[in-house]
Amino acid sequence: MYLTREEERIYDGEFGWANQICMKILVRLGELFHAKRLIPISSSHVSGVSYKTLGDAPTEFIKALANADAKVKVKSTLNPQSFDCDFLCKRLPSDLWEKQLNVLDCFKKMGFKPSLTCTPYYLEKLQKNAHVAWAESSAVVYANSIMGAWTNREGGPSALAAAIIGKTPDYGMHQAENRQPKVLVKLEKPLSNETEFGALGIFLGKILKEEIPIIQGLQKASKDNLKQLGAALATAGMTNMFYYKTPRMQMDKIEKIGVSAEDLKRTIEKLTTTSTQTPDLIFVGCPHCSLNEIRKTAELIGNRKIKKQTEFWICTSRHIKEKAKKYAEKIEKSGAHVLTDTCAVVTWTEKLGIKTIMTNSAKTAHYAPTLNKAETILAPLKECIKKAYKG
Amino acid sequence: MQPPIILKGRKIVEGYCKAEALVSTKPISFLGGVDPADGKIVERDHDLYGECIKDKVLCFPHGHGSTVGSYVLYSLAKKKCAPKAIINENADPVVVVGAIIANIPMVDQIEIKQIKTGDMVEVDAYKGFIKIWKEKGAK
Repeated sequence: MYLTREEERIYDGEFGWANQICMKILVRLGELFHAKRLIPISSSHVSGVSYKTLGDAPTEFIKALANADAKVKVKSTLNPQSFDCDFLCKRLPSDLWEKQLNVLDCFKKMGFKPSLTCTPYYLEKLQKNAHVAWAESSAVVYANSIMGAWTNREGGPSALAAAIIGKTPDYGMHQAENRQPKVLVKLEKPLSNETEFGALGIFLGKILKEEIPIIQGLQKASKDNLKQLGAALATAGMTNMFYYKTPRMQMDKIEKIGVSAEDLKRTIEKLTTTSTQTPDLIFVGCPHCSLNEIRKTAELIGNRKIKKQTEFWICTSRHIKEKAKKYAEKIEKSGAHVLTDTCAVVTWTEKLGIKTIMTNSAKTAHYAPTLNKAETILAPLKECIKKAYKG
Repeated sequence: MQPPIILKGRKIVEGYCKAEALVSTKPISFLGGVDPADGKIVERDHDLYGECIKDKVLCFPHGHGSTVGSYVLYSLAKKKCAPKAIINENADPVVVVGAIIANIPMVDQIEIKQIKTGDMVEVDAYKGFIKIWKEKGAK
């Protein structure tokens, strides 16, 4: 791999341990994937922020970097943490809250924005064709497919190293030839709600491995629905991008896959693990809600009050909650909670006695049985709200 | 004593060591699969379940699972419970990043089945080759 003189000096340790270790991570990964050089990035998004998923081991490394005066070189944002500071911090053990704050302090010391969201693309528009280094697989697919930015699926440590150096190795999704679609997906029946978009993602993720699909019939799909599709696609497989508008290219040589209504129905049924009708938690906002999704939720609730003993969380970023203030207030008046900085998957729902989670997110339904030790019910927003409210 | 078998691989993280091999034919997930407190393999249906990776030349095909796994190797190194070296068939990003931040010598592109648990292995991760002394009765 070719390194500039300055990159070599960083690699040799002239700029201290933190920069050296980050440069080593990027160079070794680059060599592993046959990158010829490092390229500058315009932003980095780091996963592995929630103390629940991290535990103590990573905290030590992040602390060591922060104490060695590592500083981010580009705009760098953070994935959700394990708490919000209004609601969950009062209901979960305080020692966990302290450990989470320690992790967050280290990131802040390095210059990360405490965005604490899995949807950094709502905070600031990415330039088309911008090279970035993002972790959080749902954001990676969104950036590549909908924003037109270029990013590999980074892991927590490699996105962190890219933030500190301001560069990433030039391979994979950073090269045009690797962004070509290989499979054409035909839908037997148009998709009717966000849960079906998610189910399509789970179904395709499992069969595509790393291949990039063109999915026909989605030209008019909303970005919110495409977000659900992409999040699920990345959850079930290694695909980092999809096309929802057919690019100009030869279609005769491309492999074709048909997806039937039955395939999707079966996928949704598999993601529902229980027949109980009384979930302990109803959760929307995986990935974090957009302004439009908060508005839609508020409108569907109307003036109703939540049922007794029912817990309903709507998770989003602080940024969106602020923009959606009047809708968020309306939702909270109904007895539901609009939580920022966190989500059901990365907090300790089992410590709150939650054994069954109803959600409209296929990604959450996929992860909750292992990460939350919870049974799941997967259903669209309308049904989630019907379950939570009287009348 | 038999002369050693010499295999050429690719250096990933530079370093040198000579220690006993602990060999698995299965991928290892460091997050959830290895106890970060002592280096014991805790994944129940793993062929190394209950074994300790501390001070061994740990040989396995490749890593899998969460990228948080890289940090587990760092934590093990801080507690002096890390392997002395890592040998993989095909290095993957999780283990590579882990070996870099934990400063564990690492070589890949080695045929793992040539090595058995209990063999004495010399790892020269400056040049990228390994020497194996077969242990009588090695598993």
